[in-house]
Amino acid sequence: MGATLMARSTPALRPLLVLIAVLLVWQYGGAAAHVPGYILPLPSEIAARFWQTRAVQLHHLSITALTTVIGLAAALATGVLLALAVIYVPALKTIVMPALAAFNSIPKIAIAPLFIIWFGLGIESKIVLAFLLGLFPIFVNSVTGLGEIEADVLDLSRLAGGTQLRIFAKVRLMNALPYITDALKVAFPLALVGSIVGEFIGGNRGVGYLILSAQFNLDTPLVFATLVSITLFTTLGIGAVALVEAAFLNWRPSRRRR
Amino acid sequence: MTTVTSDKEAAVRVDRLSKTFGTGAAVEELSFEVGDKEFVSLVGPSGCGKSTLLRMVSGLIAPTKGSVEVRGQEVRGPLVGVGMVFQAPVLLPWRTALANVLFTAEMRGEPANRYRARARELIRLTGLEGFEKRYPHELSGGMQQRVAICRALLLDPSLLLMDEPFGALDIITRERMGFELQKIWSATRNTVLFVTHSITEAVLLSDTVVVMSARPGRLKAVIAVDLPRPRDVKTLSHPRFVELAARVRDNIEAQSVD
Repeated sequence: MGATLMARSTPALRPLLVLIAVLLVWQYGGAAAHVPGYILPLPSEIAARFWQTRAVQLHHLSITALTTVIGLAAALATGVLLALAVIYVPALKTIVMPALAAFNSIPKIAIAPLFIIWFGLGIESKIVLAFLLGLFPIFVNSVTGLGEIEADVLDLSRLAGGTQLRIFAKVRLMNALPYITDALKVAFPLALVGSIVGEFIGGNRGVGYLILSAQFNLDTPLVFATLVSITLFTTLGIGAVALVEAAFLNWRPSRRRR
Repeated sequence: MTTVTSDKEAAVRVDRLSKTFGTGAAVEELSFEVGDKEFVSLVGPSGCGKSTLLRMVSGLIAPTKGSVEVRGQEVRGPLVGVGMVFQAPVLLPWRTALANVLFTAEMRGEPANRYRARARELIRLTGLEGFEKRYPHELSGGMQQRVAICRALLLDPSLLLMDEPFGALDIITRERMGFELQKIWSATRNTVLFVTHSITEAVLLSDTVVVMSARPGRLKAVIAVDLPRPRDVKTLSHPRFVELAARVRDNIEAQSVD
């Protein structure tokens, strides 16, 4: 019966069916095996805990969301501006690219405690971490999207009388858009990791702090409930990027032939 | 040197033009003229510098020696307003067929709306009616190249440069595109400099065929094509056509021997 249900369902519904199946196995299998709640709580316990703590969840999630979005926005602005600098001032490329690559090879999580020392226990240190983690993928994709324009396209634009500004607005930026939205899909979860790690290390707000204090109290259902909150937020963020893609990038072959 | 059209005003005058790259001379001491409203083809073996020549005429690259004059003005830098068609259609994938045609106007800084009617007229002339709203990947190779031709013709360029525009098309489409180009040209009457590998195409379309030698490209022969217009499939079996095609071929082959 499961197979026919799977076959009949639309492709979009299939992951949801898989999720429901996993939750059912977890719920009834876990109950039958008598796994203690502090090791692996049942989905029903997690759901109950989530509902009980919804106001607390929302409070902490809003802090994490704030630092993530601000960090990501700063990473987007900085990444695109740095990419433009590298493209329009080729001499900078030999300086900026290796410097950023070297910086990116440092695991920022490992130096996160430094940012707490430098920027304090408040939201600033979390924003900086979110920014730094989100910056590299946005920068790299922007350099490709804004810079790698077919030589023939640039020649055509020049012969048509295109100024640098017009070529930027109508060729480079349009070419870069899908690269930037793809980068955001990677950078958004990374920025979220930056925020949460910052909250793990210091401070008393945000979902990272909530998970840490739940763990301290061996309140495993709350840890899972917070993970649910985080997942909902990530879904929302990726959904926002998908909306931008649907609005501006409907010309992409992969999106039209699906 | 050879004066192709002494009786008409020269639209393009190529004077002892040479271009040397790191690997050696691509074009050497080449001189010829293109009369106003004349259709001139450049043929020659692969790598004889035909494309290099076309890029020098458009001002996209500078000659090592010699000069190019377009309507009495020496070309120094990209010749704004010249129509250019490359072997690849070079369309912007995020623009519909119509928007791709209008690209030339937008690069010139002209409001696209003013050229919408002209763009539609060209689209009709090239048989693309009904495909205005399609994206490039939804069009066949031949249709994409038609869009590229429309784009090149949008602002009524007095000079149209075509660099093997049908080189990437299959043989049947290629032949049809040749006849269509003739039709378009008879309606627009631009001066055309047309680079091709195909002897048939060159003789069928041109008023004059300029044969270049193998690398470095030098002038081999200038052959006037005195076949009546409009030319069609029947022209291909016309004795005069066969004779002229043989003369072009002899000139190309004579040099492959040495």
